[in-house]
Amino acid sequence: MHIFEGFLPSPWWQIWFVVSIPVILYGMYQLNKLVSQRREIIPLLAVAGAFIFVLSSLKLPSVTGSSSHPTGTGMAAILFGPAITSVLSVIVLLYQSLFLAHGGLTTLGANVASMGIIGPFVAYLFYRTASKAGMNFYLNVFLATAIANWATYVVTSLQLALAFPAAQGGALASFVAFGAVFATTQVPLAIMEGALTALIMKYVVQIKSDVLIDLRVLTSAAATKLKETMQ
Amino acid sequence: MTHILDDYAILSPLRYKNNWLKLAIVTFGILAGVSSNSPLVPFFIAVCMSFATVYFGKIPLRFYMKLMAAPAGFVLVSVIIIAFFFGEGEKLFSFNIPGYTLGVSPAGLNMALLVLARTLGGMSCMFFLSLTTPMIELFSVLKATRFPDSFIEIAMMMYRYIFVFMEVALGVRYAQTVRLGYKDFRTSFRSMVMLGTNLFIRSWEQGEKLYLSMNSRCYDGKLMILEDKRPVKLTEFLLTSAYFSLVIIVFYFTRNMFVV
Repeated sequence: MHIFEGFLPSPWWQIWFVVSIPVILYGMYQLNKLVSQRREIIPLLAVAGAFIFVLSSLKLPSVTGSSSHPTGTGMAAILFGPAITSVLSVIVLLYQSLFLAHGGLTTLGANVASMGIIGPFVAYLFYRTASKAGMNFYLNVFLATAIANWATYVVTSLQLALAFPAAQGGALASFVAFGAVFATTQVPLAIMEGALTALIMKYVVQIKSDVLIDLRVLTSAAATKLKETMQ
Repeated sequence: MTHILDDYAILSPLRYKNNWLKLAIVTFGILAGVSSNSPLVPFFIAVCMSFATVYFGKIPLRFYMKLMAAPAGFVLVSVIIIAFFFGEGEKLFSFNIPGYTLGVSPAGLNMALLVLARTLGGMSCMFFLSLTTPMIELFSVLKATRFPDSFIEIAMMMYRYIFVFMEVALGVRYAQTVRLGYKDFRTSFRSMVMLGTNLFIRSWEQGEKLYLSMNSRCYDGKLMILEDKRPVKLTEFLLTSAYFSLVIIVFYFTRNMFVV
């Protein structure tokens, strides 16, 4: 859910930049460290970012009639971890705002906070804990991506509510209002995206599981086991 | 999804104008719009920037209108919520739903109009930038700032590969559509999954190939680009200054004005 240019009033767009920038700087530090160890990571991350962009620009078959796009950031978080995803998503969000008219420049901070930081972080945390607890890989990916999408949408509603608190009941009341209205499109959308990502992962395991092992998404033992159950 | 805004920017007659001048115009418009308290300023900016984009940038008017309608869904829903929930005092009009009274107060309506105008103004500035300045031009601007090299490198390669994958995705999608792959919800979901998987695997292989090919051409983590020198012409400078001063004048005179 992108917040459009000019939508957030003055103190709030700066505040969200202040929130996002330290995380992005940390992500860049991580990225530079990774690049100095493995130089091949730059082209790989670049194509990964392009993949996220193209995926997010494809329309999902819609349920509610509204146009709905996957965010793709939950998948990126599972693959690359939240720190690097935050850097990638800055670029992706910038391109989305410039090429597709989704989002904006002053609202970039807020959009990065919701879609590039909090959503991916939630996805990553969920994925790691659930995989330690031994949850089925596909169910895990499905839940992690769907929850990331919901987290993004809750944060966006919160951002809007904080910027436009209701007269009666303050920010909480308008949070409920924004949340309730956007829930109609976001709840099915998150389920769609989760299912999409889980099924993509299924094919990737089938055809090219070594990528997932390289990225330490799966251990090689887990990957062989998944392949065996498929046959 | 066959055209992205960058395609129009590459053909735009304003492409060869000074990048910094365009960025200054856009930044000024966005900041003035966001910090204004009256909907007139962002509305004025929206009119000026739309005129500049359509007239100087030679963007088809119909296409531009369609672009402006894109954010409408999100914005209208949010603006209606703001109108109902923001501000208190006497209601302009209200209606009852069981157990609850919904009403619009003048403050709420003002706020909603302001947000609507700001979004229009901001989006028109964004469109001016994205419809007249291709990303390739902005890379030299990015290089002049102090972003880390790895970030800019990734941004540049990502830009290149967006087009590669977009073409693959459109081709696959076309092939799927011809084979009735999007005839109903179930099949279109299945087709989406196959498209996504194919794209992922292909992009991964492409990334490995890219690394090999760049490595064999002595890539050391830095792509060089040369920037053209494009001095700002006097007429451009005068027009920009006139625009800036007009916005400031409108800003000054409408600072305490409300619509309702």
